[in-house]
Amino acid sequence: MDVISVLTEIPGLLVATWVLLGLAIYAGYRQNWQLRSVAADGGYLSGLGFESEKPTGLFRWLTTVDHKDIGVLYVVFATGAALWGATDAMMIRTELFTAGTDVWSAETYNALFTTHGLTMLFFFVTPAFTGLANYFIPILVGADDMSFPRINAIAFWLLPPAFFLVRGGLITEVMGKMLASVGVHWELLFSLRPPTIGWTLYAPRSIIVTNPQVDLVLLGLHLSGLATIMASINIIVTIFTERDEGVTWANLDIFSWTLLTTSGIVLFAFPVLGSALLMLIADRNFGTTFFAVDGGGPILWQHLFWFFGHPEVYILVLPAFGLVSLILPKFAGRKLFGFKFIVYSTLAIGVLSFGVWAHHMFSTGMDPRLRASFMAVSLAIAIPSAVKTFNWMATLWGGNVRWATPQIFCVGGIMTFIVGGVTGVFLASIPVDLVLHDTYYVVGHFHFIVMGVITFAAFAASYYWFPLLTGRMFNRRLGRIHGYLSIVGVFVAFMPMILIGYGGLPRRSASYPGVFEALQQVSTFGAVIIGIGALIWLTNLVQSYRLGPIVTDADVWNLRESGQFSREWQWFETQLEERTKFRR
Amino acid sequence: MNRPLSAVAGGVTGIAVMTLLLLFLEVETRSNLAIFEAVARFAGMPGNVTLGFLLFLLAGVFAWPLAFMALEQYIPGGPDPATRGMVLAVALWVVFVLTGRGDLSGGLLAIYVIFTLLAHLCYGFLLGAVYGRLTSESPVEADRYDPTDVSQ
Ligand code: HEM
Ligand SMILES: [Cu+2]
Repeated sequence: MDVISVLTEIPGLLVATWVLLGLAIYAGYRQNWQLRSVAADGGYLSGLGFESEKPTGLFRWLTTVDHKDIGVLYVVFATGAALWGATDAMMIRTELFTAGTDVWSAETYNALFTTHGLTMLFFFVTPAFTGLANYFIPILVGADDMSFPRINAIAFWLLPPAFFLVRGGLITEVMGKMLASVGVHWELLFSLRPPTIGWTLYAPRSIIVTNPQVDLVLLGLHLSGLATIMASINIIVTIFTERDEGVTWANLDIFSWTLLTTSGIVLFAFPVLGSALLMLIADRNFGTTFFAVDGGGPILWQHLFWFFGHPEVYILVLPAFGLVSLILPKFAGRKLFGFKFIVYSTLAIGVLSFGVWAHHMFSTGMDPRLRASFMAVSLAIAIPSAVKTFNWMATLWGGNVRWATPQIFCVGGIMTFIVGGVTGVFLASIPVDLVLHDTYYVVGHFHFIVMGVITFAAFAASYYWFPLLTGRMFNRRLGRIHGYLSIVGVFVAFMPMILIGYGGLPRRSASYPGVFEALQQVSTFGAVIIGIGALIWLTNLVQSYRLGPIVTDADVWNLRESGQFSREWQWFETQLEERTKFRR
Repeated sequence: MNRPLSAVAGGVTGIAVMTLLLLFLEVETRSNLAIFEAVARFAGMPGNVTLGFLLFLLAGVFAWPLAFMALEQYIPGGPDPATRGMVLAVALWVVFVLTGRGDLSGGLLAIYVIFTLLAHLCYGFLLGAVYGRLTSESPVEADRYDPTDVSQ
């Protein structure tokens, strides 16, 4: 018998405890059984040990209406959701590693890509950027707080219940299992199965599916929409009414501009989603026929959904653009090239994004004249995006570029955005779309954007502002490793999907013909690289928050040199001065 | 707080989070990994999930934290007790994977190996971090950050 099978015969718990016990007894013997006395020095203080009147502990976080605290809550929530959604992604890739349906069942696979999409879009990206907006916009525009601090808190606290509703089946099942482990069987808790209808919730399937969890998903999405709208109104009103005297429209920073535009889009897009969701709920439960074949028809759902869905894409990506525009110049040693044009292009995207929704529906048999006009607008929207890209490149041109971690992510984000954008231009042209629609090409295209530029911008911001948020510095070498791993990972993971799409493989299927196996395996390998990078990120930030070197000079990034020591860092400087007073 | 109590507090925190993570993993994978059966096998109670799980909890709350307390100085990764906790947890994980994996293979085995490792790392981290916090030992005052130092 080999060693491993011997081990499986003996309970591991027994092995581990005896070995540890033996070692512990030996160690205790060596230390002469003395219990060391306890030092009273405070141990792991965070770098920002401010004295404050806030209550401490859990109570503080449950009752806070301070924009900075709420910003932190949002970011923590978004990180949790992202890790959960990433688990889904890894499980998707595990299934796709082989051609057959052999790891999960087809139903589980369908549930995975549904929950992955919903989680990432509604509970990771939007909250992450809303959190940064909450923390930094009041500081950047010189306001004391957001305009409506209590609504701000409510908007955040609607998100956890919304998330629980959307992923409810899993959570009730966890409760069911917990009860079952102590002998109580409550069947109701097992009746909700994860939804399998895709994040686009296409009718008629979303009406026919009997799983009651789908209703909870719809309610949860509706609730998250309310939360997003409230947060957006708050951002808009704050920027319009709470600006300091010195902050005019002409010198408003680029991050606030993009968040203002994003919030404007939210204001027009999310109510449409909300209404459509209520109609779908009515179709499912009260016998209405909005989206039934003999009523408004399934195409009506697609129109309403994508009238929200395409602007949503820009709701996700504009804040990322804003962050790149903000951070990139700081490490290029010169001002953002063509600031005004970046603002104009942001506003242009905001308006145009409502005029392109039907490019998601080219293959549904619309009138060709209608189709052509949507194609024209879709191609036109590439122009403001290209303006931004060229402005970023011009900013780097002749600049004194420093490859700090945030910069690696910004430039990596531009790279992936170029690939994502160019593949998108192809999709916007009708003949190409008819071939590639609903193949892996589409998945590859939008992942270059969501995983490439959007997540990269979030990472860049997390590093760039880390010293300001925690008063400590992160480990820069680990940060750089994370940056390079992520760039390589995204190309290795999503380039094969583009090729698989050219091969014509439809997406959303757990099994596929064997010829695609090699490319799928390369893609899974890339996903693992991204995953390793993300774990390095998490470890780095958690450990640096506990033990990283303490920041004493607010100019961590040497911004004074190039005259870019902007408002949030000036604010940080006064905070640091107060801390020194307090620490003596 | 005195050291054994701090260690147990660390164990409680760690095992609570770890159990939650394992539960989520179990449900997320639609019970394909049979994690709690693996826990039962690990605890030497194959087939009896409830009792096996109870033993697992007791070990996680008392046996390992107390051993950690006694062995702390000899575990590599110091002076941060959280890192040392993770080292200990990796050792435990190796045993867990070898004895608990049952007849999983292929993709399921990969998911099982990776996610149980992450759960163990969380356990070890929390055990060490809480213990270090309550006993206030090890690196007290961190270095000052020096922007001109690019050696890092
Ligand atoms: C390592 C990272 C990631 C991997 C490996 C990954 C993998 C995948 C795969 C393979 C699918 C297609 C499933 C199918 O249709 O059969 C998918 C769908 C999706 N992913 Fe990701 N993903 C990752 C990150 C992200 C991120 C960061 C976001 C959002 C910010 C995201 C948003 C989505 C959405 C919305 C869908 C569904 C799209 C649709 O069907 O219309 N993903 N993902
Ligand atoms: Cu679109």
